[in-house]
Amino acid sequence: MWPESLDEVVDEFRACFDSMERYELLFEYAKRNPSPLPPEEWDDDNQVHGCQSRAHVACFLDEQGRFQMRGGADAQIVQGLMSVTAMAVNGMSPNKVASMEPAYAEAMGIQSSLTPSRANGFLNMFKRVREDASKLCD
Amino acid sequence: MALDIEAIRADFPILERRLPNGKRLVYFDNAATSQKPQCVIDAMSKYYEHYNSNAHRSNHTLADEATTALEGARDRIASYFGTSPGQMIYTSGATEAINLVAYGWARENLSEGDVVVLTEMEHHADIVPWQQMSVDIGIEVRYVPIDIESYTLDMDAFEVALDGASLVCVVHTSNVLGIRNPVEDIIEKSHAVGAKVLIDCAQGAPHERIKFDSLGADFVAISAHKMAGPTGIGCILVRHDAMAEMVPFMTGGSMIKRVTTEGSTFQDGHAMFETGTPRIAEAIGWGAAVEWLEQFDMREVHDHINDIAAWTASRMRDISGIRIYGDPESEDSSGAVSFLHETIQSQDLALLLDEGGFAVRTGHHCAQPLMDALGVPSTNRASFWIYNTMGEAESFVQYLEEVIDRFA
Repeated sequence: MWPESLDEVVDEFRACFDSMERYELLFEYAKRNPSPLPPEEWDDDNQVHGCQSRAHVACFLDEQGRFQMRGGADAQIVQGLMSVTAMAVNGMSPNKVASMEPAYAEAMGIQSSLTPSRANGFLNMFKRVREDASKLCD
Repeated sequence: MALDIEAIRADFPILERRLPNGKRLVYFDNAATSQKPQCVIDAMSKYYEHYNSNAHRSNHTLADEATTALEGARDRIASYFGTSPGQMIYTSGATEAINLVAYGWARENLSEGDVVVLTEMEHHADIVPWQQMSVDIGIEVRYVPIDIESYTLDMDAFEVALDGASLVCVVHTSNVLGIRNPVEDIIEKSHAVGAKVLIDCAQGAPHERIKFDSLGADFVAISAHKMAGPTGIGCILVRHDAMAEMVPFMTGGSMIKRVTTEGSTFQDGHAMFETGTPRIAEAIGWGAAVEWLEQFDMREVHDHINDIAAWTASRMRDISGIRIYGDPESEDSSGAVSFLHETIQSQDLALLLDEGGFAVRTGHHCAQPLMDALGVPSTNRASFWIYNTMGEAESFVQYLEEVIDRFA
């Protein structure tokens, strides 16, 4: 499942009339990224591979040892999902992030982002966050 | 006689489908692959249902029927392309066809310092094999630039690049820009300096009747799946004199004449280059596709496609923030409209169009050097074919305007 703090976000997406309204909301969330990674910090190391669009994530532990991610993408749909993902994982223990499933995206109704063959970046981005979390575990 | 588009559409069952969200499919990704008429699907099913057997091997009835159908398809396809079956080698598609020229002809006949001329608008399939040859045998690869104002090849630069060239490889029609290159002129000028010519007709063959013998190129690469045929098959058309200079780069299966523990001998002619079990069902399907296409005047088909592309492009030019790459309104265009919006990223736009039922391509189109020349990482591309209608184009432009109003 997803952290309780994300319930409101998931409900907001569930309340959308149709998929276009959900995409509109996702574009809004793209602008509200809580921990952006600006393009000038994009490099080969933080690039998410396997996406046709450009997506970058940088993961680290804060002073309290909690997981934090910063992300940026040129596609707004991926960027919006990054924002929601950051809201979900930032502040969690890296162990929890490493075992997290992307159920919140399914619950939000962003089905097209959940098909691996779409190559639109979300699943690759999510996988990268989980892998980085694994590396950051004790 | 004008094309009866409704009757044509009735041959394509997939055009009736709706997407999971209930939207009716509008298929504008034809430059990636065309849809298949029912007769192609039926021909392939009939082979598997009634006479599935390996070709060129056994003497039983089914094997005879399979061999007859496979070779009958070759005869029909070769005839469609204005040549003899002996100058046609089945491949998996245009990519394998070009690789066969690289590994079967160039590696045998070129050496260090020999020049191969490409263009900036080539598909990766016509770039990477030559880069590999550069690594393997040290050939020099030259690229003819495009004029980014007109989106056409810089023919002055072509003539400079031609100096001392052994081989010229040019795409007939760009899969990104839809531009048809002056291949007749290119062939003539290349032959005048003694260079052989390979034309990549993957995009050209669905839009005009390629006549290999009269075109005069030494090699022509074709994919079936962009011209109503199945995936997994295509061919390289090769002039007899060039084929005589080729050696097989894959061995085994159908191409064998005799194998002993001391060595092997190979079949003659085109059979030398067709390894393993033939793509029998695919060849039969392609033959059916060609038979289906033969009922049309390809000039009319081209005009129909071009009318839709030109109208779509002209309307899109009026939409704020849209930039079109190419010249779809030109007579020589081939029904591809590549475009970008200034604020809606191409992947996002493709997903939003998909929500409306519109299937368009997005990405670098396997033409990254061209993307570099255009200064963009990717484009969206709507590409039209014989079964598309002006009504679909109108609904596309209307929906695109709505998307841009809402998301830009």
